[in-house]
Amino acid sequence: MAPLLEVENLTTHIQLSRSVVRPVENVSFHLKAGETLGLVGESGCGKSMTGLSLMGLLPPGGRVLEESSIRLAGRELVGLPDSEWRGIRGNEIAMVFQDPMSSLDPTKTIGYQVAEPVRLHRGASKAEAMERAAEVLALVGLPRPKERLSDYPHQLSGGLRQRVMIAMALACEPKVLIADEPTTALDVTIQAQILTLLADLKDRLGMSMILITHDMGVVAGHADRINVMYAGRIAETTTTDRLFAGMRHPYTQGLLASIPRLAQDNTQRLYTIPGLPPDLSDPPAGCRFAARCTHATDRCRTEEPELTGSEDSHRFACWHPVDGALPPATVSVEKSAPAEGAGADEAPANRPLLEVVDLVKEFPVGGGLRRGKVSVKAVSGVSLSLGAGQTFGLVGESGCGKTTLGRMIVGLDKPDSGRVTLEGTQIDALHGRELRRHRRDLQMMFQDPYSSLDPRMRVGAILREPLQIQGIGTAKEQTDRVKELLGEVGLPTSALERFPHEFSGGQRQRIGLARALTLNPKVIVADEPVSALDVSIRAQVLNLMKRLQASHGMSYVVISHDLAVVKYLADRIGVMYLGKMVEVGSGQDIYERAAHPYTAGLLEAIPIPEPEVERGKRGGGIKGELPSPLAPPSGCRFRTRCPFAQDKCAEEEPLPRLFGDGHVAACHFPLQTPVERSAHSSDATGGAPGTSTGKAEGEATAAV
Amino acid sequence: MTGYLIRRLGTAIIVVLGIILVTFLMLHIVAPSPAQTVLGPKATPAAISAWNHTNGFDRPWYSQFGTYLNNLLHGNLGWSYKLNQTVDSLFKEKAPLSGFLSLTSLVVAIAVALPLGIFQAVKRNSFGDVSATTLAFVFYSMPVFLVALLLIQVFALSLGWVDANVPQDQSLSGALAHFKDLILPIVALATTAVASYSRYQRSSSLDVLAQDYIKVARAKGLSERLVFSRHLVRNASLPMITLIGLSLPVLIGGNVLIEYAFNINGLGLMFVNALSNDDYNVLMAYTLITAILTVIGNLVADVCLTLSDPRIKLV
Repeated sequence: MAPLLEVENLTTHIQLSRSVVRPVENVSFHLKAGETLGLVGESGCGKSMTGLSLMGLLPPGGRVLEESSIRLAGRELVGLPDSEWRGIRGNEIAMVFQDPMSSLDPTKTIGYQVAEPVRLHRGASKAEAMERAAEVLALVGLPRPKERLSDYPHQLSGGLRQRVMIAMALACEPKVLIADEPTTALDVTIQAQILTLLADLKDRLGMSMILITHDMGVVAGHADRINVMYAGRIAETTTTDRLFAGMRHPYTQGLLASIPRLAQDNTQRLYTIPGLPPDLSDPPAGCRFAARCTHATDRCRTEEPELTGSEDSHRFACWHPVDGALPPATVSVEKSAPAEGAGADEAPANRPLLEVVDLVKEFPVGGGLRRGKVSVKAVSGVSLSLGAGQTFGLVGESGCGKTTLGRMIVGLDKPDSGRVTLEGTQIDALHGRELRRHRRDLQMMFQDPYSSLDPRMRVGAILREPLQIQGIGTAKEQTDRVKELLGEVGLPTSALERFPHEFSGGQRQRIGLARALTLNPKVIVADEPVSALDVSIRAQVLNLMKRLQASHGMSYVVISHDLAVVKYLADRIGVMYLGKMVEVGSGQDIYERAAHPYTAGLLEAIPIPEPEVERGKRGGGIKGELPSPLAPPSGCRFRTRCPFAQDKCAEEEPLPRLFGDGHVAACHFPLQTPVERSAHSSDATGGAPGTSTGKAEGEATAAV
Repeated sequence: MTGYLIRRLGTAIIVVLGIILVTFLMLHIVAPSPAQTVLGPKATPAAISAWNHTNGFDRPWYSQFGTYLNNLLHGNLGWSYKLNQTVDSLFKEKAPLSGFLSLTSLVVAIAVALPLGIFQAVKRNSFGDVSATTLAFVFYSMPVFLVALLLIQVFALSLGWVDANVPQDQSLSGALAHFKDLILPIVALATTAVASYSRYQRSSSLDVLAQDYIKVARAKGLSERLVFSRHLVRNASLPMITLIGLSLPVLIGGNVLIEYAFNINGLGLMFVNALSNDDYNVLMAYTLITAILTVIGNLVADVCLTLSDPRIKLV
């Protein structure tokens, strides 16, 4: 049987004002009916452009060269006039995009938007199209679809919007569905739901799917075959099982090894791919990966390797293929003795550096007469403590209050009640000059490296600013300090005179880290430090953060939705759900002995780059979506999504219970057996007396 | 919505009262009495103080202000000492023509600027876009009376298409009888507005074109025409509503110069004359009208925005 979609020598050029970018070059692959093909690679590798080329939807200046061929069920698409392309788009090939928040027209109802392609391609009447829309919306699992036809996109959550997007793509029952990073903008629990939905729909409707992603874990569970792309070309292609069992291209190897894994030993450094992908307006001769490859020889730099082998075999474009995945890394990160040079010696040894007790923050919504009546319960009584040189990781879905908590720790937001204490000084009670002086001990590193650096300031000025504000040193000393910082984060001193836009995302995040380091803080709160970065760059920044902690002895509070990232960096992890800390423990406690069903559900939802494991979990994970923080559920806030919830959970809020040394969870029906002695006894083992209000959680945390 | 409107009207009244008070005070500080202007340069001090006494200008300012407010509440805008007429009747005479000029030019400006801005965004960097941008900058930077003079020179004097003398009839019906001769003032007023609106419309359309939902619309197989008419126009025009609402009083302001340049006997010209004559009550009334228009323009814009953008709810 001939494949449904045959792509031969696909080459795409984009004409810019001064150069021609070649995002896709000589890409060939087949897609069989009912098959899922994964396109994997870093951003800029050409995977999205391949998808857009198949849709005939290239950006201005883009075109598919004539020698390329895209055949859909035997029909050649390259060279078709636009009117015929329009009959295919949304009808025979449909696409789901990354960001559901911006992919729906805010001024049209979702019914209209889902019905639109039906009216267009099937000539259905308005009423018929609406009926079909309700049908597809039911298919994608939108609750009460008929009533929701007249909803506007802003009334739906991100996960529901992505379901609407999928409904829109499926409305005309396309033969091929291209899903371009369909879950990257979503929470990990929602990601699992959407991926399961896509796989299920593909089977039920007999479609083929092209799944574009940067996440090896996502393709491991959901793709039948995988194309690994690098710099506009296919580097390696084979079935999912064969790829993970024996990858041959060093890039595939590096891509897989640089993701922090849950099972990772966090005393080892992450594997990194050095450097950056090449500029596609002027690609290098020879193998495009040669400049970043540890196996590269002169032959790689001059002669370009072809994809060898027959269509169905394991093919790879490499002169020096490797054999299988990299073994676990063996370079360990040595941990410095805590509090060294931090001046904390006079503090009692059992006194934590940073203590957060019962923090509460609510944001009022609405203005005028309703002001103050309704509020978002962002953080509802969270306690934690952190020793010198330690890292505390905060995980949870978006909207769980982790960022608000981080902002309160560094004093950017004032808590409504509770306190933040750094070395015995209560930060949230400080004002004016006092607060300003203490800010040097508490610094922040932000998520988005593009918006967190002032675009009109030179890097030198950005790094010098904290010193100027705090009035530290002469101009000469400040410059020396800035140069030293650049060296520490691995940037050349020439960076001083340059502007942020001249740097890549990873480099900017290094600048952000250097800025946080400028004042030698005792605590750095890093809010999603790597989630805006590409996988290979992510590993570089994570390693850097670890190395700097080892040499400077500061503490981190790392906030992330990615449990693997948190587990790699943190000594202790706190899992937050809807403003509450539901479980606290060491990385091993959380990963191997999770006591709270929410923690277990989060772990289950994380895609792991092992095909057998991933395929086994289809349909698992947490159901439903985060309830509104305006009116959180009574009792245990997780009960609405919990498989074990009983009446007791709605009536009574579970108190934190001890499950091991420093392992605390708040659940009535935990997955582990609690330790017999009460949580309060941990007070004696090293909690800070008088600093806690009796919340066992805070005390147990302080115990470590 | 009703509650919102009531609250907004409440604030509007406070704003308007504040403006009246401030204007009143400023006028009284600059020139405490119009006596000199009314009685002429040769009036004796005794005559002036007698006039002030008769007309109540020797009372303290708050007492005068009280009287003014009281009159205002009874719909009495006062007396123009210079023109010897009630201000009410002056406005009744002149407002229709000025209002007609402003509104017509506003409608023309919107009708031209919105499609133009969208066209420019869709055909970004094309010859048409670049020319329209250049023209917009030229007209935007040109004072409105210069535009008026150029129009008169070209279309009235050189080409002779219209009469350079605009109808002097103050009534709207009388002026409309010579509508052809009103075209130049309307065009002059509209030109500057088109120049600024089209810039805004262009940039807001460019923002919308960069949105993912435009890409999604194309991915559905919609033709470019449908993509634009269904998903671009409405979204790109939303920011314009606020802008246009805010520019209502600006158009009235523009009238001052245009009526001066074309010698139209409207509100603007009356305002200019009142300024040089210390014609208190006319100045007050003019400020009052502008203030009310600003407040109304804002309110109408907010209501229109709510009606056209489902994301906005007035509470």
